[in-house]
Amino acid sequence: MLAAIASATLRGTMGSPVSVEVHVSTGLPGFTIVGLPDAAVREARDRVRAAFLSSGLSWPMRRITCNLAPSGMRKGGAGLDLPIAVGLLVATGEVDAASTQGLAFCGELGLNGSLRHVPGMIALADATAPRGLVVPLCDAREAALVRGGDVHGAANLGDLARVLRGQAPWPEPPPPSRAPSSAHEPDLADVRGQAVGRRALEVAAAGRHHLLMIGPPGSGKTMLAERLAGLLPPLTPDEALTVTRIHSAAGCSLPDGTLFHRPPFRAPHHQASVVSLVGGGSWSLRPGEVSLATSGVLFLDELGEFPVAALEALRQPLEEGVIRVSRAGGTVTFPAAFLLVAAMNPCPCGEGVYEGACTCSAVARARYRRRISAPLLDRFDLVVPLSRPDPDELLSGVPGESSTAVAVRVAAARARAAARPVPERGPDLAPDADALLGSKLRSGALSARGLHKVSQVARTVADLAGEDAVSFAQVAEALSLRAGRAAVVS
Amino acid sequence: MTLPEEAYAVALASVPSIGPSTLRDLLADDAPSAAWSRTVGASGSVRHVARIWERHTELGIGVLMAGHPSWPARLLDDPGAPAIVFCLGDPRALDRAPTVALVGTRSPTRYGIGVAAQLGADLAAAGVSVVSGLALGIDGAAHEGACGAGAPPIGVVAGGLDDPYPRRHTRLWERVAEHGVVVSESPAGVRTEKWRFPVRNRLLAALSDVVVVVESRHHGGSRHTVDAAMARGIAVGAVPGSIRSATSEGTNALLADGAFPVCCAGDILVALSLAGAPAPAPSPSVHGARPQRPAPVTGEDRRVYDALSPDPTSLDELARLTGLDLPSLCGALERLARAGQAVDTGGWWQRE
Repeated sequence: MLAAIASATLRGTMGSPVSVEVHVSTGLPGFTIVGLPDAAVREARDRVRAAFLSSGLSWPMRRITCNLAPSGMRKGGAGLDLPIAVGLLVATGEVDAASTQGLAFCGELGLNGSLRHVPGMIALADATAPRGLVVPLCDAREAALVRGGDVHGAANLGDLARVLRGQAPWPEPPPPSRAPSSAHEPDLADVRGQAVGRRALEVAAAGRHHLLMIGPPGSGKTMLAERLAGLLPPLTPDEALTVTRIHSAAGCSLPDGTLFHRPPFRAPHHQASVVSLVGGGSWSLRPGEVSLATSGVLFLDELGEFPVAALEALRQPLEEGVIRVSRAGGTVTFPAAFLLVAAMNPCPCGEGVYEGACTCSAVARARYRRRISAPLLDRFDLVVPLSRPDPDELLSGVPGESSTAVAVRVAAARARAAARPVPERGPDLAPDADALLGSKLRSGALSARGLHKVSQVARTVADLAGEDAVSFAQVAEALSLRAGRAAVVS
Repeated sequence: MTLPEEAYAVALASVPSIGPSTLRDLLADDAPSAAWSRTVGASGSVRHVARIWERHTELGIGVLMAGHPSWPARLLDDPGAPAIVFCLGDPRALDRAPTVALVGTRSPTRYGIGVAAQLGADLAAAGVSVVSGLALGIDGAAHEGACGAGAPPIGVVAGGLDDPYPRRHTRLWERVAEHGVVVSESPAGVRTEKWRFPVRNRLLAALSDVVVVVESRHHGGSRHTVDAAMARGIAVGAVPGSIRSATSEGTNALLADGAFPVCCAGDILVALSLAGAPAPAPSPSVHGARPQRPAPVTGEDRRVYDALSPDPTSLDELARLTGLDLPSLCGALERLARAGQAVDTGGWWQRE
């Protein structure tokens, strides 16, 4: 007897359709799986057999061959357990082949017959359309995000067999996704003082400028960075789907089990490997931190401590907004359009911003600075020096401006920038502002690239103020928002 | 082939296991050629000596030997004088004028750099040779100031004269050799090892009439120079600094211990008993006698100017003090900078 069941497997953030063919014939009892299965798929034999027996289904003492088509493509993950089991039910005649017509199956089996979560349900649901999809009950809501009504959940293999035989109805569809509850994001009101740090966050959020904060330990770099995502506008529906798809493929849990509606905030530790940052793995190609941060914020604390290779790998995503991960088995392109926020100490002892307080040798300082390559440093439009807040301000208990208030200005500035036609050559500068930039260029304080970056930042500052022309003071502010470069460029 | 006696002395100094004091003991009784054959014996071929000698002459490195007429007078009765000194430039510069050592930390503040450069320039203009170690920080700043005009500068370095150290000071090193002289106890080809710095500091003190520490940490390397100077009865001065600055801990402690305070080049000239000599123009930044630029009058600029101090202040602090928003504050600061009334040091601002 032969059965063919539709399913899908995950590669990168995309699903690929897979047809699971099960053949049961006379011969020595045995169970083989062919079609380039990975270790997890090969282990399905033991899980499926145990699940059959635990669910009170009879295990055929015959020769079972399972083929995963197309045979030339590698398949991974335990999500193919369920289609193999259903294929067996059909091939042994336990279930009528007609009842599986127009349905696809994805799910992992437990030894007790229960159905378990598989990562990447959104991509799998896409890949199996337009068939109806049967998934573990816990994944039904995630699959329904892209598929709507034709998703069925099942709690275990026994129940599913009864449904397919027509002895029971499909279980109640899971409740529709709740309206997203107000996400808990840290608020900027918690930050005391730090006028420059706050302003840098606002400008970074409004103009999508990458930000590097340089300051001694205890100056609030991490606290500020964690509040950047809260200043960004909510995700658009397209962005939300992309972000959710990536998180789903990476096996991350979704907020309230529904679509992301707030920009994600990712803060990998400084010992992160290149693969964990940019994505990869043998051939299932899991998205990395840069992709998980897409449309959101990637925060690299202690930038100087990251492996140099990991930092240099950031250059492509920073430039193109995507990351291409190539392996022998093929190339996958992940979205990676994130806002980069980084923090570092000015020198190994951390006191370098205070004149005369640093105890590092000149050599140690130079070595620390060399860890950040000039091309990477050039990607940061904003490089701000931070100092420890004033004790009076810290203890005053007067809360700073809240994230909500700043986010309103950010949204207005973004709308303003979006409505403006792209100028032919640079932003519209007031004459004295233009003269200021010219004098900085001539004195060598700014490079040509630096000039471009400063005028971009000044443009954002003017957008935040709701002004068409960029004034002298706005250019001066843009200049001071990259003054920290002096601490890392010797 | 006949080689001068100096060639044997240079070859002896180039033997890795022979340091300055061993060399002095060796050459105390014997002529260099005799000492060479006695210590190195038959294995030390004349060709080896010739090769080392050739290398020094090719590089233009001069050799001064104790007991020769060219030996600097300052080292004649020094208790710890070396037996041999290598030099680039004119060795007569060592005895031409009164000498003052300007030394200090390798990671100074802007204040220290400014003071060192000013003292260097004023002393050179007053006809005093500035002696320093050509290290990063204070030493380099002092020589930068002193290389302009006036008395010849003297650089005292630890390693071989063929390999400028630190590399960043290669150009300064050449300028000092051009206007004055760079001396070392190490023959060409010797790497700058750690133990050579305190040894160098002893020679530096020996060549100076007065030692002035511009900025120094509590346990800074300047301490070696000061100790060597005190052992020789050489006057030691120190530039007072902020009690809050770690880079002034050493100098302030020296003042407490009895070093004479140095607030301008004139204070050093007094110590040299040269007070009657043609005095240099009073150094403005050191004396506070700078012609005052008129303070700005317009509202915001005035507020920002009043909030600034001679010490670097962060933008956050300025925003708090003035109550201005960042664009207004930054605009005012840029205007003050253009008028020469404020200066930006990597995001920190101070009054100029």
